[in-house]
Parts: sequence; structure tokens; C-alpha cells
Amino acid sequence: MNRPAEPASSTVQLTIDEKTVTVPLGTTVFDAARMNGIEIPVLCHQQNEIPAGVCRVCVVDVGGRAYQAACIRPAEAGMVVRTRTKEVEAARKTLLELMMADHPTPCVRQQHTGDCELETLASEYEAKGNRYPRREVARGRDDSSLTILVDHAACILCDRCVRACADLRHNFVIARQGKGYGAGIAFDMDDPMGGSTCVSCGECMVSCPTGALTNKGVVGQRLESGLSCETEDLLRLPVFEGVSGTFLDLNRGSVMKRRVKQGEVLFHEGEYGSTAFYILEGQMEISISSPRGHVDTERGASGLFNILKNKLVGRKEHRRVDENMARTHISIDAPVELAYDDPVGQLGPGDLFGEMTCMSFYPRSATARAATDCLILEMLRNVLDVLQKNKTFRAKLDNDYRQRALETHLRTVPIFAGVTTEFINDLRQRVELVRYAPGEVIFRQGDLADAFYLVRIGFVKVSENYPGGELVLAYLSKGNCFGEIGLLGGGKRTATCSALDHLEVVRIAADDFKAMLQQFPETRAKLEAISAERLRENQVRFKQVSTVPVDEFLRQGLMEAENLLVLDLDRCTRCDQCVTACADAHGGVTRLIRDGLRLDHFLIATSCRHCRDPLCMVGCPVGAIRRQNSLEVIIEDWCIGCGLCATNCPYGNINLQEFKVDGPASDELAALGAGQESAKKKARVVRKATSCNLCNDYPEPSCVYACPHDAAHRVNAADFLGGLAKK
Amino acid sequence: MRIDQTHRPWILRTGALFLLALLAYVPYSLFSYNGPSGGSSLGLIYGVAGYLLMIFAALLSVRKKFRIWRIGRAQTWMRGHLWLGLLSYPLIFFHAGFSWGHGLARLLMWIVSIVIVSGLLGAALQHYMPRMITERVPMETIYNQIHRVQEQLLGEADDLMGSLSPEQNEYGLIVPSSGPAATMTTTSTAVQLSQHSADKLRQMYDDTIKPYLAHRGSRGQSMADEATSKAMFAQLRTVAPDSIGTVIDDLENICQEKRDLDRQSRLQRMLQGWLLVHIPLSYLLLTLVAIHAIMALRY
Repeated sequence: MNRPAEPASSTVQLTIDEKTVTVPLGTTVFDAARMNGIEIPVLCHQQNEIPAGVCRVCVVDVGGRAYQAACIRPAEAGMVVRTRTKEVEAARKTLLELMMADHPTPCVRQQHTGDCELETLASEYEAKGNRYPRREVARGRDDSSLTILVDHAACILCDRCVRACADLRHNFVIARQGKGYGAGIAFDMDDPMGGSTCVSCGECMVSCPTGALTNKGVVGQRLESGLSCETEDLLRLPVFEGVSGTFLDLNRGSVMKRRVKQGEVLFHEGEYGSTAFYILEGQMEISISSPRGHVDTERGASGLFNILKNKLVGRKEHRRVDENMARTHISIDAPVELAYDDPVGQLGPGDLFGEMTCMSFYPRSATARAATDCLILEMLRNVLDVLQKNKTFRAKLDNDYRQRALETHLRTVPIFAGVTTEFINDLRQRVELVRYAPGEVIFRQGDLADAFYLVRIGFVKVSENYPGGELVLAYLSKGNCFGEIGLLGGGKRTATCSALDHLEVVRIAADDFKAMLQQFPETRAKLEAISAERLRENQVRFKQVSTVPVDEFLRQGLMEAENLLVLDLDRCTRCDQCVTACADAHGGVTRLIRDGLRLDHFLIATSCRHCRDPLCMVGCPVGAIRRQNSLEVIIEDWCIGCGLCATNCPYGNINLQEFKVDGPASDELAALGAGQESAKKKARVVRKATSCNLCNDYPEPSCVYACPHDAAHRVNAADFLGGLAKK
Repeated sequence: MRIDQTHRPWILRTGALFLLALLAYVPYSLFSYNGPSGGSSLGLIYGVAGYLLMIFAALLSVRKKFRIWRIGRAQTWMRGHLWLGLLSYPLIFFHAGFSWGHGLARLLMWIVSIVIVSGLLGAALQHYMPRMITERVPMETIYNQIHRVQEQLLGEADDLMGSLSPEQNEYGLIVPSSGPAATMTTTSTAVQLSQHSADKLRQMYDDTIKPYLAHRGSRGQSMADEATSKAMFAQLRTVAPDSIGTVIDDLENICQEKRDLDRQSRLQRMLQGWLLVHIPLSYLLLTLVAIHAIMALRY
């Protein structure tokens, strides 16, 4: 007769280190021991994660053929477990020695906080790791994330970060890649951490037992104290929804809440800074107070009459009308574009501004003043980075951009300046904001064209491959677009575009772009004309480069010079009339020096070279320095005089010049009270960047005009070199 | 300024004007009752024309003061100065009937001759010397900066010697200052240098190299001669160890650079020196001619 089966017991009884314990069925040996006060060392396991049994440090003797990893071995009834026998300890020590052999001792974590779990345990077991040969090929570091430093050399492949990212945070960014000596952790498709979809929640960092993933913090920067900014307070703000409290705890002091009174200036244009701002309450007014206009060319700075005149009248601004025709708006580091004729904009709650200054340390592009009493958040780049990666915040930013900023942004791009509202509405749903880390390639020359881009934040480097090497065609800043040639032409990219710094672009997929252009043939015609013009320029340039001996020329950055100042040394009597004429034309400050590279009997004098890699363009916060179609570098008249281009020019060919304008700056004007009308009339001095402008208000450059010996000539570089080559 | 085929239009026009003046002069000198003289109508015309051309030539210096005024390219003014200034010379002779005259007139003839000759010399120098400077001074610097560059060279040489001095060694590699094992140190390496070599190098630097580098120009300096300099450095190398060979090389290069600077200075002075005669005499000439004209017309 069959007896009915007894119900399975819900507990099991086993012996651990001579101690009889009873635990629920399914409990692991590790947990059974811990529940009964017996500590088993482990590295790859922590209580809030599903055990993986990869480090094997928790090995115990359960009486079988091999030792078992306690963290994954279920407890069984009648099992006899020994955790601290001599043999088990020896096996553990060997494991620790093997791990230590590959571990940089002390690792970053041990250096900073002294709590590297591996090194602590190894020290307890006196496992130094010098019994085994060390790895010869370094596993490297990944410094791309602003918040987390990845030191692959310190990784013990415990998978705690992988499980934290996937199981705890459901981000699924980190995984294992490779095998054997090549094994390691990877982000997405083995991308740099900063370029991956990592949201910098910090969970991997707090899970890591070693110094493989550590908090970077922001070194050397500190915010002035503001209102209380405890983690709990921050997490209650909608802007921090979804941001890891762990991260905020680790980066205490990197974000501050501030009250700004009405009329108070938050920052001035041209100032350097390192923070971004997010408006919680109130309205900010953002403006460019520097007048539009260039420093006027003076008619002679020597002679009693001219000196007197210059003293009395001062230098004037001068508008180059022909250059302003296409621009209706000026792009700045904020989600608004400023109208050229009235450069004042409003920012309200939910607006984030100052991102380029914060991420790439560019000067402030405009002056920010509180239009009403404001409550704002000021943050350092690590917090901004986390916010920008936060899915909730990104969605909000994207939406705000589509609804509010897209239209004015598009209108800053000359080819879209006249598009209809219908066109904008059609585009609104098609755009996507995409971020790129510094150095990341957006597309390469020869790639299939799959999208059209508008620069929103940061700089894009556009370069082409030539026989003499890479040639930088342009640095595109906010208000520029790229990628249209490939889409309208043969379907292949004609240049390589990469992110120069922290870049954000508006991406329109190829299909959407084509559909849109079909719907709006007028815009298509404009784009096709520009595309054809750029292609023609490329062909001309390629021809020039292919026919000219360029080694030294390229090295000196002279290749793209459309107007080199060349002195024929066989004619030049070294009288310096060219230099003094230049100084006369530009307020006593010469923009050329009679020194430089010698080619045959010619001297390439030092004046603006319009370099092939025009570093002066990098970082202009208002995009005022650019190449013309002729490749000459020009400074637009909305330059705010921050001086970054002058600092960046390796040849010292950009100067800052002062000139007087009437009336105080807009922010000063606002700060003036009633009854101070006289102050409003006071003249002030502003600065503008200047470089050789070929004396464009004269028919001929002054340096050439003033040379009595027919020695100074402005020449096209390629023609000049071609002539030399034929000699 | 090179006088090349681009000057042909000026030469042709000046030549034509000269021929015109000559054609007028020949019958005038042959058939005038008292012979050609400055007081005759034609003589006065020649004199006035010559004086106007002199004034035009002198205006070049005014033109150079207002470099960016758009009143004609400086090059055009310079060519006008050269060719029309030259044309003034025969006109003055036509005015004077090829007589050198007496008193002020004679003085004026001498001055105008010196001005013209110095001008021609200047034109010749400006034609040939720029190429000479280009060829002979490969590392040319801006003329006004020569003394600054010279000071820098002296500073570099002092630094080099200082780097060999134990007291100034930033690494504190102190060495006995005497005895056969005396060591001198450079900033990068410690070198063994015998007392004899150390003394020799120091003495040569103090007695010969430093005075040469500090001295404006090269007069009376043995290092100014390239062959002598090479011989002195070669001799120094024979007593110094190889380890300070780079220091000696650097010193020799510095001396070579100083010689280049001196050569540039010299050539530049030659190129511009004639102006010291040409310009003051030109202004004197203009003034005296004005006085001569007033006196001649009045008395």
C-alpha cells in the first residue's frame, strides 16, 4: 500500500563550522552562515544582488570532491560545512594572490578612502601577489565620463557593477566583454563610458569592491555657498527626478540653490566660468551689451592732427553692412537666440543655460540679469552631465527645445532664415537631439549620408583628407548646419565631422530630410545651391593642394591663405614702411610683423594666415569668428571681446582693441536708478578682437600701398607656390 | 628698389622730357646773343622746372609720413623721385648754361651734384644690397631689434656658463673647485672636467667671448673673424672633455649668430648710410635755391 507523500519540509538543518543551524529551504550556504554569525569572506557578492559565484573567495568545504562557492551553493539537509580549515584558507589565499598579481596596489580607491575590499582582504590573508607574474599588457583607463573614473587594471571581473546596472537600476549599460586575458567590463558596444548611454547614476561605482570604478568629483572648483542643498531636498525637485541619490551624496556641494534679486547680474558676457544654471522660479533676461560693429580703421595715427583727432573723437565702431545681411539672430549659450538688432532674450522656469561654459570652459556668451526675483540652481559639470543623461530630464529638454527653441535656432541658419511656420511645424516632430563626447566622430569622409545636422551646443570640426594630410575646413558652432552635401549629392560624405568638445546636435534622419525638402522645394533649391557651391570649392581646393609642393607650407599653416603678405627680399630695403603703415591704419598697433618663414627670396610676413586649422575659431562663445567662402578668417561684428580667439591664435595675429561707445551697457543701464540721466550719457570703452582685415575699407591693403620699393605683395598662396615650383 | 624693366615707362618718359629740354637748349645756346644764362626767359624756365622737380622729389619724405593717405602708391612716388629728381640735374645745367658760376650759385651747383650723386649711389645700393643681405644673412632679424637679440645672446651664453658653475647648479651637484677630480656640472649631466680645462674655458669666455657678445659691432674683436673663432673653439675642444662638447657647440653657434647680426648691421648701415648725406643736403639745397631765386629775381 502506498503511503501518501509527506509535505516537503520548509527548512533544512545543516552544520557549519561544528555549529548546527536551521535555515529556510533555498538559502545559500553563504547566507546560512551569515544568518548565524559566521562570516565567510567574499568579493563578488553583496546582499542586494543576485549571487554569481565568480570570485570564488567564498569557497567552503562541504565534504565533496571540490570546494564550493558558498554564495551560490544552496544549503542542504545534513550538510557539513567547514569555512575556515587550513586547506580552505590556503585555497582562498591563492585566489587572492592571483587577483593581487593583476591589481595596481594601492588602487585609486585604496589611495583615497582606504577601503578597497580586495586589498583589505589580501592584507588579512597576507596575500601579496608577488608569487605570480604580473600582466604585461596594461588594461588601461577610461577617463571619458565626467563623473566616474574607470580603471580597468583594478577590475577583478566580479560582475557586481554589471548586476547593479542591470538588476538594480535596469539601465543595462555595463556587460562583460572578451575572454581570458582580454576579458573586462564594457559599456554598450564597448564604447567609452562618457560616450555610452550610461546615465551616471553611480550604482556601479558604489557596488565596485575595488578602485575599478571610482567617483571623480570636480577637482579645483567649488561653488559659493547658497541655500540648503541636501540630497533629500534636491531629490524632491522635479529636475532631479530619476537621478541617483547615491550620486548626489557623493557629489555634495556640486550643486547649489540660489536666490537672485531683480536687477542682479548673474554673469557678464566674456567672463570665464565653470557652472551652468537651471531656473526654478522667476525670469532671467539674457543679452549682449557689446555693440554690433567693428573697430573702425583710422585714417592715420601719426601726425599732430591725427593724434589730436583720435584723442578727441576716439575710435569708432563700423558696420560692415554686407556681412550682416544673412544674419538675423546671434547664437548664444542658452535655449534662445538673440535678434541681431535687439539682442535681448527671456529665460523662464525650466530653462537650462551656460552649458558650454560649464562643460568646455568657454567664456560666457551673454550677460544674464534677473528680470524678476529668481530661484536658480547653479551646478558644476558633473551634475550637469548627470542631468543631461537623465532620461526624464532629457525628454523635458528635448520637448522644450522642439516647442520653444527650434524655430529661432533654425532661423539663425541662413538657409532656413526664411522658412515658413508650416515648415517648422513639420520639422518639429522629426528632429532628435544627439550628444557626442569630445573627439567622437559623427561621420567620416566616404560614409553613407544618413542624416542632416544642426549644431546646438559645442563645436564640430570639419576636415578633409588630402595628400598632405588632414585639412580642417571649419569649426562649426551653434547656428551652423552640416551634412547636406552628402544627402543632396552622391549620397556619400565628402568630409569628416567630429565633435571638438561636448557637442549636442539636432539630427534629422535622411528620409525625413528628403521628405521635408520634397514638400518645401524653395528650401531644397537653397540647400542645393549651397551644396553645389561647397562642392565647387572642394574641387578647387583639391586641385590647389594636389599641384603644389606643400610640405613646409602645410607645416607652417599657410596653405589656405588667400592673401599672404609676401615680401620680395631682393627688393625690400627693410625700411619697415609696411609695418608702420599697418600700425597707422590700426590705431598704432601693427597687425603684421616683418618676420616669418622664408621661401626662396620671399619672406612670408607674420599677419593673419587664415590657417588650415584655424584654432582661433575654437570656443568663440557667440560664433563671431568664422571662415568666409573664400576661406579668409573674419571676425563678425557681434564679437563680445572676450579674447579667446586671441589666446588661441598660435601666431599672435589677433589683437584686442579698445574703442569708445556712447552710453552704458544694457545691464548697467538697468542697474541705474532714476535721476542718473547724466550717467547714461557717459561714454564707455569696449573691446573687440581684430586681425588683419586686408584694410577692407580701402581698395588695397595699407602695407602694400605704402611699400615704396614694390617689395610687398598680397598673393594667393597656391598661385605663389605654384610660381615658385616652376622656377 | 630694383631698377628693372618695370621702370621702362619712367625711363622713356624721363628720356623724352630730357630730349625735349635738350632740343630747346641747343638752338638757345647756339643762337642767343649773350649765350645761355639763368636770367634769360628760357634759362628761368629751366630753373623753375628744375626747382619744381626738386620740390616734387623732396615731397617723397612727406608722402612717407602719411603712409595710408590714398594720394598715390608709395612706389609711384618713389619712381617719380628717382627719375624726375634725376631729370632736374640736366635742367639745372641748362639753366646755368653749363657754368658753375660764383658764390652761392657755385655752392648750389656743388650741392646739387652731391645730392644727385648720393642719390644715384643710393639707387645703386638699393638695387644690389637687398639681395646681398638676403644671401649673406640667412637668419636676419628686424633691424631695430638687433640690440635686443644681442642682449639675449649674451644672456644665453652667460646661462650656458652658469650651468657649468657648481654654485648655480639647480641640482646641487657640487664639485670640488680644484684638483684633478674637479667636476663641473651642466643642468642635465654632471661632467668631470680637469682644472686646466675649466680654467681655459672660463678664461676664454671672460677674455674673448663675453666682450665680443657685449660689444656693439665687431671692431677690435678677434671673434669677429670667422676663421679665428673656429680655430679658438677647435683648440678649446682639444682640452675639454666630450661631455661638454654641446656647451662649446652652443657657444660657437652664439658667436656665429652675433657675427650674422654684426654683418646685418653693417650691411644695413651701408644700405641706409647714404641718406645721411642725401637728405640734409637736399633740404639745404631747397632752401638755398629759394634764396638764390629771390636774390636773382630781386637784384
